[in-house]
Amino acid sequence: MILIGELSLWVALLMAAWSATASFAGGYLRRDDLIASGERGVYATLAFVALASAGLWTAIITSDFSFKYVASFTSSNLPLVYKIAAFWGGQAGSMLFWCLILSGYAALAVFSTRTRNRELAPFVAGTLGVVSLFFLAATCFGANPYERLDWVPQDGRGMNPQLQNPGMAIHPPNLYLGYVATTVPFAFAIAALITRRLDGEWLAAVRRWALLSWFFLTVGITLGMWWAYVELGWGGYWAWDPVENASLLPWLTGTAFLHSIMIQEKRGMLRKWNVTLVATTFFLSIFGTFITRSGIIESVHSFAQSPVGNWFAGFLVVAIVATGILVSRRLKDLETTATLESMLSREAAFLYNNLVLMGIAFSVLWGTLFPIISEAVRGTKITVGPPFFNTVNIPLGLLLLGLTGVGPLIAWRRASMPNLKRQFAVPVASGLTTGAMLVALGMRDAYALVAYTLAGFVTGTIVQEFVKGTGARRRMHGEGVVVALGRLIARNRRRYGGYIVHMGIVVLFSAFAGLAFKTEHDVTLAPGEMFEVRDPYGHQWRFVSQGISRDAKLNRIITAIGLEATRDGKPVAIVTSEKRQHVDSRGFPTFEPSTEVGILESAQQDVYIVLAGVIADETAEIRISFNPLVWWVWFGGGIMAFGGLIVMWPSARRERTQSGYVAVMRSEAEIVAAAR
Amino acid sequence: MPTRREFLILAGGALVAARHALAQEGGTAAPASAGQGAAPLGATNVAMDPDSYLEVRRPPKPGATPRLTVAQRDELEHQIACACPCVLDVYTCRTTDFSCGISPAMHRDVLRLVEGGYTADEIIAAFVDRYGERILMAPRKRGFNLVGYVMPFAALGTGALLLTAMIRRWGRRGATALHDGVCELPVDVSAEELARVSAAVRDDNEDARA
Repeated sequence: MILIGELSLWVALLMAAWSATASFAGGYLRRDDLIASGERGVYATLAFVALASAGLWTAIITSDFSFKYVASFTSSNLPLVYKIAAFWGGQAGSMLFWCLILSGYAALAVFSTRTRNRELAPFVAGTLGVVSLFFLAATCFGANPYERLDWVPQDGRGMNPQLQNPGMAIHPPNLYLGYVATTVPFAFAIAALITRRLDGEWLAAVRRWALLSWFFLTVGITLGMWWAYVELGWGGYWAWDPVENASLLPWLTGTAFLHSIMIQEKRGMLRKWNVTLVATTFFLSIFGTFITRSGIIESVHSFAQSPVGNWFAGFLVVAIVATGILVSRRLKDLETTATLESMLSREAAFLYNNLVLMGIAFSVLWGTLFPIISEAVRGTKITVGPPFFNTVNIPLGLLLLGLTGVGPLIAWRRASMPNLKRQFAVPVASGLTTGAMLVALGMRDAYALVAYTLAGFVTGTIVQEFVKGTGARRRMHGEGVVVALGRLIARNRRRYGGYIVHMGIVVLFSAFAGLAFKTEHDVTLAPGEMFEVRDPYGHQWRFVSQGISRDAKLNRIITAIGLEATRDGKPVAIVTSEKRQHVDSRGFPTFEPSTEVGILESAQQDVYIVLAGVIADETAEIRISFNPLVWWVWFGGGIMAFGGLIVMWPSARRERTQSGYVAVMRSEAEIVAAAR
Repeated sequence: MPTRREFLILAGGALVAARHALAQEGGTAAPASAGQGAAPLGATNVAMDPDSYLEVRRPPKPGATPRLTVAQRDELEHQIACACPCVLDVYTCRTTDFSCGISPAMHRDVLRLVEGGYTADEIIAAFVDRYGERILMAPRKRGFNLVGYVMPFAALGTGALLLTAMIRRWGRRGATALHDGVCELPVDVSAEELARVSAAVRDDNEDARA
């Protein structure tokens, strides 16, 4: 199986080259036989990449240490789940994993064009083939997981302990699923540009793909934050690390696209902008990969410095230049004659939403690259860490939160003043009441107050929308509240699913603002000693050391401290924090000790306990943090993902009649046909 | 795109596979005993270069007494980057996952300077003298660094101006077209068709307001 896998990787490379060539040739020459062959090439690429992946998994699971990759990232005593995850734990394996997802998506995209978008199909297959070809070439020649060692070590190096966490097993695949999914809309955009079919057809085809990408990026980023929080032990979930930023960038532009696509669907506007956003999102996903794999910027998350970074830099430049040329040659076709009638319209609100999202994306990109820019200009190395990003992005984030509540309140085309007053009354009152209550309760942090006031405003908007919609259904159809609400969402999934996503954003921002009240305490406790402290909510906590214990388990030696925690005199729990020394199958230490955080989780706050070290006489150095509202970060991420699922949930086969002209904007031809 | 049934099958399969994989975690116990040798491939969680630590030392001020509280000292350490590759600040790094030997040493330098009577600004200046500006978690707001701070807002402001100008231009164009009695459309439609689309638009807006 391993040998078959190794050979299959090279055959997959050839298949990708053939599918790209045959598809483009077939599309330009209008030869159906070549087009069909190109499509079959896409399916064949998937089959061979799957075989190559199966071969690598086999090598990993059977601990075949003759392969450098297996020896570098696994050991024979590594638990099976992490052996499976080791597939994407290192540079070369993750490249193959990327190829697997990409070829899977490519096959799905080509399959979806067998009855629709036939004009676009060869160029979609061709573009996907080119991207697959690049990734497979980079894998074969730049970072080949099948590279063999000159000798066979007795055991492997093992997996980095920080990666031995369920979050790490799940969150990279989600991020990859999100990153890679940006390729399909890009392929459709290129196909639309080549064929000049720049109406609504390609947009209708890519919307779900863009949503799929957004969904997986959302899930991946949230899980990544959770992993960082529970595993890295520094007490936070987002450090504005370059690799974290790299995952946020395509999410931001993808979110902008999901809003601006509505303007093109409804009004036929923003054609150039939407093409630009689709391409930018794809480029940013490649750029993120470049950052992660080139070692150009220091990050704890990045793979080791590798020449494969040069491959990505080259590909990025070629892709940007080629797309730029193609777009510039189609500018006339991308012109639109539709106009925006008023600054007070939902279209305008969406445009400002796009502006802020792009502004945040720019500031994140700028901050990520500024150390390089500074070094190039001044020759001075600088660090751009959280203080910089918080200074720049908190105001922008709050602006975005505000716009989240404004957009849904404004009518399409033109809003009248009476309409605005009617729409804004409840949300504004909700926001102001929230802010006033918090001031009365003693909150003084300016950013937090603004965040919660805006959160109250946006919540007011969302609740109002649901109440009005449900009320309308009840009046029209005589349904009960629950039935009306369910059907309201089910029959208008894009709109109400979107509102659920907005609610997730509100929850997320509220949770972020909670960190303004975080407190940390460094303590040294001998067995039996205690530490008393008041938390941000005013509760009195007592932590009593239960002493140090040592144990060997699975592939690690554990040093743990137990702290008996009581709140306001009532016992809460015994919280354990560990230091783990991972060892190989012969008992030799593999990595530096790592920390397993003890977390006492609640909706109000997390009590976050880190065993920093053990000094003489079982005396432990501990950091105890009170992290308010952290649980809501995960919950908010979950709400967003749930909302995203509702929006992209496939329709039943029947063609549902959308309200107004929405349904018929798929293509101009269809509009005319529908009107007649 | 997949149908609902295909979607459910795929999602269900993925969930079952993920659950099965996670359930495996505790089931593969391997003998582990305390070993003494070095890591076979010299592995560390984060590549650590002991030479990246540079001692920051200043003579204590005459009659020195600490001028910073513990909270102020911790805040100060949040502004100083650890010299290890963790990209965290000294305060955060010294008790995190990375078993860093550098942040505790930098912490000791900070303690010594605090006890020597130095202010927060003086301590930061001492670290910058020794390591260069890269030791700060964020660049100081002066000189070329100001470009870094201003650029995102400048870009946003420029974008806002451009967008506003564009929206106004669109508005004028729309008004002119309507005034001339020729409303430009992306497709060639008759007046009757236009009326039907307009009616649909009205319905949609009313539906949105409902």
